[in-house]
Amino acid sequence: MTRPSEKSFGIAAALVLAAPVVVGTGYATAAALGLAGAGATGQASLDRAVAVLTDPVVWGGTLWILWVAAASTVLSAAIAIAIAVTFRGAGRLDALGRTLAVLPLPVPHLVAAVGGLLVLGQSGLIARVAFHLGFIDGPAAMPALVYDPAGIGLVLALTWKEVPFLTLVAVSVLATRGDALERTARGLGAGRRDVFWRVTWPVLWRGLMPAAVAVFTFVAGSYEAAVILAPSDPLALPVLTWERFVDAGLGQRADAYVLALLGFGIALAAVAVHEWVRARIGLLDGGSA
Amino acid sequence: MAALLGVLALTVACGTDGARSPDAVTLAELPWDSVVERARGSDVVWRMWRGDPAINAYVDDWVAPRLEERYGIRLRATQGQGAELVNALVVEREAGARGVGDLVWINGETFHNLMQESLLQGPWAHRIPAAELVDSASAIVMRDFEQDLAGFESPWGRVQFSLIYDTLRTPEPPRTVEELGRWIDRNPGRFTHDQSFTGITFLKGLMYALGGGVDEFRGGFDQEAYLSGRDTLFGWLRARTPHFWREGRVYPSGVADLHRLFANGEVDFSMSNNHNEAVTKARQGVLPASARALVLRDGTIANAHYVGIPFNAPNPAGAMVVANFLLSPEAQLEKDRPDVWGDGSVLAIERLPAEWRARFEATERDPRAVPMDTLTRYARPEVAPEYHERLQADWRTLIRAGG
Amino acid sequence: MSARVRSAPGVRPGAGSTFRWSVLVVLGVWALAPLVLLVVVSASGGWRFPSLLGADPGLGAWRAVGAASGSLWAALGTSTLVGVGTGVAAAALGLPLGRALSNLRGAWRIVGAGCAFMPVAAPPLALGVGLQYSFLRMDLGGGVAGVILAHLIPALGYTSLFFLGVFAVFDREIESEARRLGADAWQVLTRVTLPLLRRPLAEAFVLGFLVSWAQVPLTLLVGQGQVRTLTVQVLSWVQAGQDPLAAAGAVLLVVPPLLLMGGASLAFQRAQVVAP
Repeated sequence: MTRPSEKSFGIAAALVLAAPVVVGTGYATAAALGLAGAGATGQASLDRAVAVLTDPVVWGGTLWILWVAAASTVLSAAIAIAIAVTFRGAGRLDALGRTLAVLPLPVPHLVAAVGGLLVLGQSGLIARVAFHLGFIDGPAAMPALVYDPAGIGLVLALTWKEVPFLTLVAVSVLATRGDALERTARGLGAGRRDVFWRVTWPVLWRGLMPAAVAVFTFVAGSYEAAVILAPSDPLALPVLTWERFVDAGLGQRADAYVLALLGFGIALAAVAVHEWVRARIGLLDGGSA
Repeated sequence: MAALLGVLALTVACGTDGARSPDAVTLAELPWDSVVERARGSDVVWRMWRGDPAINAYVDDWVAPRLEERYGIRLRATQGQGAELVNALVVEREAGARGVGDLVWINGETFHNLMQESLLQGPWAHRIPAAELVDSASAIVMRDFEQDLAGFESPWGRVQFSLIYDTLRTPEPPRTVEELGRWIDRNPGRFTHDQSFTGITFLKGLMYALGGGVDEFRGGFDQEAYLSGRDTLFGWLRARTPHFWREGRVYPSGVADLHRLFANGEVDFSMSNNHNEAVTKARQGVLPASARALVLRDGTIANAHYVGIPFNAPNPAGAMVVANFLLSPEAQLEKDRPDVWGDGSVLAIERLPAEWRARFEATERDPRAVPMDTLTRYARPEVAPEYHERLQADWRTLIRAGG
Repeated sequence: MSARVRSAPGVRPGAGSTFRWSVLVVLGVWALAPLVLLVVVSASGGWRFPSLLGADPGLGAWRAVGAASGSLWAALGTSTLVGVGTGVAAAALGLPLGRALSNLRGAWRIVGAGCAFMPVAAPPLALGVGLQYSFLRMDLGGGVAGVILAHLIPALGYTSLFFLGVFAVFDREIESEARRLGADAWQVLTRVTLPLLRRPLAEAFVLGFLVSWAQVPLTLLVGQGQVRTLTVQVLSWVQAGQDPLAAAGAVLLVVPPLLLMGGASLAFQRAQVVAP
């Protein structure tokens, strides 16, 4: 039973946490309409917002970062599941495997990107090893993995960074929910393959969903990794936002607020999906919100 | 929690300062000694580009101790340059926040934007003692992208654009724009330029050369001259970009990324706004020792860079004293040394006392640097800042397609 | 060894051992190679193609890098100051916020969790763009205090969600029992609740610290380029082509978090041995 005062504390807490985002969105909206910020006309106008939102460069950059976010999330989730399943025992080998998988967890995204640049660049570590082994004769022969339109280098660097977090979640999901269900299924006579595909796999992907949505959201809004590894065209949304924001031409600066709102919008949609997914998983599990 | 609020309160309280020091215009009218006295024992924050350890070493380890010793000024250099700086000052004014920097390192379109938005204090620069030593006959120094300094910025150094090549890889480099074009066509994937200031300067130089010389673009911004020059340039580019690095679909974001590509052998040319870059970066190990600077015979852009005082500078007196010291023969000589920075002096050599003249002339000229007379012969001035701004915007939209 | 490895679904035992060992090796290379490479490049004295170890590898090069830039150590200090400040504040404030959220039920609980997730999900760049004006208006721009407050925005979201989870399973009976035994609210808090929450508080501190430690856009936008944390400095060096310096900074960026996480997990393992 929630006492009324407890409920109002709870709501107050929610407001405190949401306030900065609301204030930020509010100011960005005002600036996007031309009511605030440098170059403010004092008259609300949708012109700049329309100009930005109909610019193909903006949509190119947005879709591109969403693609990178989706690819890295799916890839890291797949690797996380594979690791969680392969190293789920209690032996030293399993513990070592899990530790190695989780090792990059505290590494900042920036460092992951710098590492990615040094390893995957056309004159990076892989290229140098290939050169010494005689596979390529110069950096130009190395396939372009950074600054490339497909964003492969960025996806790989982000995957490297996100695998630890998703592995932790996957291991936890398996340990808390997977074991019991699997034992039951095996007790009922199901074969190994059946147990995996009908029990383990569904438990894993459902348990991983909220975390995966969180990872997707984070990557889609990440600036520092994109600025190091992304190409100049299509120009990823975070980098485009920054470029417009620091542009000396004040008209361009106003565009940055519209782009920031776009970023907020993507995050808001992701939050909604996240809560919806959690609510559904909660129902399936018998309530563990 | 209480501690946090306490810290907050303290910061807010300290933010609003009581006495406002007089601005640079007022100070410029006072005798110099009183300005120096006012500045004694104070802190000066200088917002500048901090991406080059050699420049940082000059400012932090040579300039700052001497300022402390002679004037009691504590100099602290922090990051702040170009569009980010303009943006920061605009936002500071918008929010009524206290100023962060006393002195800013600026030129070209940054100066243009700051003047348009009235973000600089002045005029003051013509009243400092060292202003007499400045080479006032030089169009390169006295006009910043054709703009009259008007006492709002004080000259600091001058440089000239040059390409950088590797003598081992390219023993016979192209010497003119036409030869460069042919070289690019014959060596696909081995040339590119960056997206920032240096890259746009390169394109501007090309525009002059292809458009019939810099004189076509002088005398203020002319829309038609720009459009015709731009179209000729972009025509040339569109024919060449398929032979650029990565087929011209990707460009390094700054000149430092281009240096990295060049040093790693991914491309055979780099470039720099500074004619001594090849020498100084080779000493730093960033560029190979076999790198040399190359000045195209069609002419390359020479420009100067300056220091200014922002409108909300907390310590304009200190800033003026620093600007004055930066113009001293001693500071200019040190800066010119190839093992320090290699940034050209803005002083009129002939007006200096004899012993300084001798020292300037004897400055160790690194054999790898471009000779002075070559530089002078091929120097071309900057033109109105709108050319730079428009070219950057149009290049992004029409060639890079990422802007 | 194989006796202790349960035949987990999808993994064949016995023959799987070779398979698992090879996966382990690949995993090890994948996880460690970038980090080792950063150390190598930082001590390389110039890392140009096709050299693997650098032009002038060795301790001398590392020392030169460290000496060449006082800003490396200054940035480390700034990052530590900001990180610790954020961690402490995020843990201290996240506890009451998370607890308050955990008292909500039903639809309100979902709203509450969503609100806590908003600062976590919002792109720091967008937050910085939208809030820069407000921060400057309050004279918090360009200073460490402002940057800590800015970092607190996402950090508090993370720690509140964390404590929401903690209090969801926290046994309030202990507190009620203490009150029935005559303790007042303050005594309940300090003698009963907080001691039980020592480990979550430590974990929340680490969480807040890590969020602040890795932050880039908020530091740049609120700090007005004046607050040079190590991340901001490393980005600057990468963009300036100073690779050994950037690599050295990156190595320094990795070491404290690894130590914190390693230390934390060791402490908990020991705690578990002592009080399982």
